[in-house]
Amino acid sequence: MTARWPGPDAVRESFTLPLLFLSVAAAGGFRMPSGGTGMQFLPPPVMALVLAVLLMAVMVRAGLLAPAVLVGEDRTGLENATGAAVLAALFVGSAQVIQCLAPESGLLHLLYYTFMTILLWNTLAAAPDRMRLLHSLFVIFGSAFLLKYVALASLYDPEGGVMRRVLTTLLEGVALGTLQHAPFAPVTGYVAFFVVLVYLVALTLLPRARTALLAPRMEPGLVADAEQVRLVETRERTDIT
Amino acid sequence: MIRGAGLLLTALYAAFITWVYAHQPRTVAQLTGGMAASVGAYQVDRNSFNQGVQFFRNEQFEEARAALGRADPARQDATTQFYVAYSYYRQGWGRMYNDDALFAKGLETVQHAIAIAPGNRLDVPDPGIEMRTADELRAELSRGLTKDASDLNPMRFLARRK
Repeated sequence: MTARWPGPDAVRESFTLPLLFLSVAAAGGFRMPSGGTGMQFLPPPVMALVLAVLLMAVMVRAGLLAPAVLVGEDRTGLENATGAAVLAALFVGSAQVIQCLAPESGLLHLLYYTFMTILLWNTLAAAPDRMRLLHSLFVIFGSAFLLKYVALASLYDPEGGVMRRVLTTLLEGVALGTLQHAPFAPVTGYVAFFVVLVYLVALTLLPRARTALLAPRMEPGLVADAEQVRLVETRERTDIT
Repeated sequence: MIRGAGLLLTALYAAFITWVYAHQPRTVAQLTGGMAASVGAYQVDRNSFNQGVQFFRNEQFEEARAALGRADPARQDATTQFYVAYSYYRQGWGRMYNDDALFAKGLETVQHAIAIAPGNRLDVPDPGIEMRTADELRAELSRGLTKDASDLNPMRFLARRK
């Protein structure tokens, strides 16, 4: 009899993660124009899909996402199906989060996608660990949220306010036509806030890679290269059997 | 068992989200009504519909649209939407010129009515109206919005509203 890797919690993999990521995907495209012309649901543009792939590559590199834990030869067909559903939902959710935080048009739209590409690429090159990547994503998405839903929303708020006065003073001489922005009703900002929050929480729930779980059992100072991890894993399996 | 149930729920949820993005409901009423219509459970409020048609026949078009809007808040009933479009036509029609804004709304509404009608065909056997199919109404509204030399034809003054 061989002991099989227990795998991630079945409920979390079958219900929690796909439903959270799908909720993010659904709400990420929600917009309510300030004119009150009704709800809009925007699908992700191609660029957001490309960045979602890049983001998932960064997650794999950092150990935040372990595709082999979700889909693999050692899992049954149903387990692989639920794992694939998690990956698909994560992909669509990531694309929608990226799109949700993007200014809708103009120079800022272009700058957003340019800087997002550079940031993710840089993160990929830096190869951070799981926690550092989560911190990094918190900062990236948090900054983008503040830029779009606090700074830009204040700038184009018809009723004005302190924030608008500060920003117009700082941006004196800049033609606002360059900073094209479609104002939305406040509910859009609230929805976007929860989209980002739920997305980040769901990322922390992603199942860890096997090596990450085995690492604490290893002797301090033991180098965790792939071969050694494989040996430890084999030894453990033998012990269980 | 858990995984199977989770997979089924995920598939249903994904289908719902796809439906929302494909149909683009503008209001919560359209969202719920559209969902009900997709499973054949949507019904118009018959009293409001009859009241709307009565207003329409009395040439009270604003009132007619308000009543028809109450009857079909999700805009899922093709016949109701046909009357709404017809009300835009009759209100916007003019002997010298048409109201383009009303005609544009009428055209958008009749196109929506055709889109939600079974088989994209819509016949309304109402003796009080001259155009009894959505295709005729759509063509009439499109002609009304077209700017060409026939707009200068003096015979236009002899035309009558349908």
